[in-house]
Amino acid sequence: MKRYFSFILLFAGAALSLYISGCDDDPEKEDVPELVTKIKLTFTPVTGGSPVVVTAVDPDGEGPQDLTPDGSINLRENTTYQLSIELFNDLLNPGEEGYDLTEEIEEEADEHQFFFGFSSGVFSSPSGTGNIAPSTGSINYLDEDSNGRPLGLLTEWTTAGIQSGKSFRVVLKHQPGIKSATSTSADGETDVDVTFALSITGS
Amino acid sequence: MLFLIAVNAHAQPCSLKLSGAVRSDDGEWLAGTVVRINAQLFTTADESGRFIVENLCRGTYTVTLQFVGYKTKVEEVHLEKDTTLHFVLETDRAVLEEVFVHDHFQPLPETGSYKVLSGEQLIRNRGMALGELMRQASGINTLQTGPSVFKPVINGLHSQRLLLINNGVRHESQQWGAEHAPEIDPFFASDIVVITDASALQYGPEALGGVVLVSPAPLPEEPGWGGEFQSVLQSNGRGGVLSWMAEGGSKKHKGLGWRSQMSYKRLGDFHTPRYVLSNTGVKELNFSVATGMHREDKGWDIFFSHFQTELGILKGTSISSLEDLKQAMNREPPQYSTGFTYDIQNPRQQVQHNLLKLQGHRHVNKGDLILQYAFQHNNRKEYDLRRQSLNKLPAMDMDLFTQTLDACWKQHGRGALWYQAGINLLQQSNNNVPGTQRIPFIPNYNQYGAGIFLSADLNLNTWFINGSLRYDHRFFNVSGFDFANRSYTDQFNLGNTAVSVGVRRDVNRYVRISSNFGTTWRPPHVSELYSMGVHQSVAAIEYGLLLDRTTSTVIPFGQYNFHPERSLKWTTSVSVQNKNWRTEGTVYINYLTNFTYLRPEGVTRNIRGVYPYLRYVQTQALFTGMDWQGEWRVNPTLSFTTRLSLIRAEDRKNKDYLIYIPPNQYAFIIAWKNPNESKRLRFYAETYLRFTDRQRRAPRVITVDEILNAYEHGTDPLQGSDKIFDFMPAPDAYVLLGAEAGVALQLNGNKMELRLRGDNLLNTAYRDYTDRLRYYALETGRNIVLSVRYSF
Repeated sequence: MKRYFSFILLFAGAALSLYISGCDDDPEKEDVPELVTKIKLTFTPVTGGSPVVVTAVDPDGEGPQDLTPDGSINLRENTTYQLSIELFNDLLNPGEEGYDLTEEIEEEADEHQFFFGFSSGVFSSPSGTGNIAPSTGSINYLDEDSNGRPLGLLTEWTTAGIQSGKSFRVVLKHQPGIKSATSTSADGETDVDVTFALSITGS
Repeated sequence: MLFLIAVNAHAQPCSLKLSGAVRSDDGEWLAGTVVRINAQLFTTADESGRFIVENLCRGTYTVTLQFVGYKTKVEEVHLEKDTTLHFVLETDRAVLEEVFVHDHFQPLPETGSYKVLSGEQLIRNRGMALGELMRQASGINTLQTGPSVFKPVINGLHSQRLLLINNGVRHESQQWGAEHAPEIDPFFASDIVVITDASALQYGPEALGGVVLVSPAPLPEEPGWGGEFQSVLQSNGRGGVLSWMAEGGSKKHKGLGWRSQMSYKRLGDFHTPRYVLSNTGVKELNFSVATGMHREDKGWDIFFSHFQTELGILKGTSISSLEDLKQAMNREPPQYSTGFTYDIQNPRQQVQHNLLKLQGHRHVNKGDLILQYAFQHNNRKEYDLRRQSLNKLPAMDMDLFTQTLDACWKQHGRGALWYQAGINLLQQSNNNVPGTQRIPFIPNYNQYGAGIFLSADLNLNTWFINGSLRYDHRFFNVSGFDFANRSYTDQFNLGNTAVSVGVRRDVNRYVRISSNFGTTWRPPHVSELYSMGVHQSVAAIEYGLLLDRTTSTVIPFGQYNFHPERSLKWTTSVSVQNKNWRTEGTVYINYLTNFTYLRPEGVTRNIRGVYPYLRYVQTQALFTGMDWQGEWRVNPTLSFTTRLSLIRAEDRKNKDYLIYIPPNQYAFIIAWKNPNESKRLRFYAETYLRFTDRQRRAPRVITVDEILNAYEHGTDPLQGSDKIFDFMPAPDAYVLLGAEAGVALQLNGNKMELRLRGDNLLNTAYRDYTDRLRYYALETGRNIVLSVRYSF
């Protein structure tokens, strides 16, 4: 038995140190600048008047609940609007660090671009159905990146005549190293892809 | 009756040859004698009773010779030079010889079904990743993520359902991830044994699929030193591996030996028959040092190994919505494809694994006592294609620390009875390294485990009977962040039992049957309980078992009716051999209750678009299969081998198929070697044809377009059924042709080996069902490998 004793003692000692060496480190909370749960579209008439604002919110981020728009975009006929887009992480409180994510896109304008898709005939300018592949229409971009390529946080739209039941789709693409004069919405990774209902009403 | 005949005066560690001849005591040559080195099946004697085992390191070996009707012979052989032995087996007169097998480590169960990769077979395939290399054994498949990430699949199961034993230590890493390959350098291994039945309970309960033992050669015990250099160059990837090994034994201290080994791998972008796979390069540096003392009555070992890899993941797999996946599936070549480069960019993985093992053993009163402590550190960093400012931050960064303490006692009981008992303790903590700017995919956790096992072996003439029993307890302490980045914590306990019973019968000198029935369980992995998020290259969100179905908040473990996964596995092997024929077949039935897997549940829209989401659920699964190998030795120079591997897997509860189950495979090999083995110059040549069938039992297909259309029109994207689905049908069957030739030259105790191998010689363009990148790209094209090995 004596022969085993040193073995048992060694084992017990090692076992004890094993069990007390487990440290209970609580994880640190991460900032999550890539988590976008809300998009806000503001259509401001260039001739003045109250802006049209729509938002779409995803209540649980990666969770199974859907992103839902809070209503349709109701624009007036034959009016020119400037559209500005803002992105948020709505799981945080307004004012908290990381709540407003629009700036992040601005800072990396050279690898991001917004693309737009809409029902035929809803706008007199731009005409067509937008520039989301396979469509190849033009968009009135009002901003650009350092290489002079469009970004799309600010765009201009002139509505056509009265119509309803139309749609308006916004796609933000992340194109690191591949954003070019010829890159399209089929290139890169999707950061945002949201579709709103659109109607044009009488003035 | 043992005669030693010196053949060569110079020492050649790890290139030594042990040859021999076996006769019966009445002078008859015993063709088909099973020759084992250190209890592993190495070879059988040919028609003239002769055998050769090559590529042995210097050291002491236990040579076991078994032939039905004769007493099993066990000899200790000190190998210092090429050696030829003559054995005489005595007729067994029903008196059981008391045999003490002086083999302290990793005894293989006498009754088990196992496959061995060793010696020449391992050396020939060096340069491959561990998983890829294991595929060379019949019945072992892989789950692949591109050309450099291979996970072994045994009997259809992988990841946390396999136990990897790296030099006697449970390999602990982030095995849960389908794209996380084992961090083990095949260059240090002298043999890989895969136990496919439930008999190896001494290693832990989790081996629902099997146990993989990766072991180095025993350390040299005799004075002197030797070593080897090897270089492997390959055309596909335009790179290769350089490795060296040195080892020796002490003159001053009897039984004291050491070994040091290093390998460096560098590969650039792989290519398919049609295009370059951009960003698939590899950079890998591994080394290990070992020293140990082995004497008759006691010994100790210290081992340290370091594994470090950086590997690129095909850039075209960077997608973040179903729309992106649709684009990727239709592109050829994949997005971001450029010319060949050695650069490794995002997405990429950086993984490090360190292992320190201390072991002591003692031989007392016909018994062995082994005490082993091991410390492992695993760090895994995964980089995604992210916004500029985040690109240099890993998206996933985890430190996993594991300590294991094992005590094992093996005792020779009365007569032909052996007992074995042991305790395994485990302490593990997983820490997400702060600074990823992402909600961690899995939480931090601490895990404490304690297991106890008992086993008994009985050898009655031609019968071998084995029984094992094991109980394990686990405690988890979990702390993480949910979808809204709010913290949660939980603690829980789990405990359960495993049992195995096995029988082997040597029917006559040609036929052996073994059968094992066992039931074992595994504690859940934290990832199965708490996962939340999107995996690299998979356009789907995964939710763990404990996430609430509507609110996605984390449910306390105690409130969830959790039952651990358990397998009931029955494995039977039959081997038949005579002087020209050898055939071995294994059939298994594995019924898994509470089988935990990812099941599609619906489609959700978040800001990036539409995603299917999968949730870990539990079901009853049935895996059945057969591995068969037949070899016909036409004459001493020419042989034909046929292999087949069949697997059927089904979800019994939902009457459904399972995904990523390896399709049926058939291989045909013709091998030729020059007949005069003793010559200084030896040649061999081999050619193979491998046929991989289409997976005919693949889940239904729902295309990306169908999902998007259904979502748009408000209909059910899963088409009114919750059966699992795939975005793409299973790829077509394919045939690969390969060939290999080699020459070995002996000069004054130095050995030079030259090998040339070609894989996918016809440059076949194909996709593999078990490659997770099959949605994006073809498999690699023709690859020519040149290997030079020099040992002294």
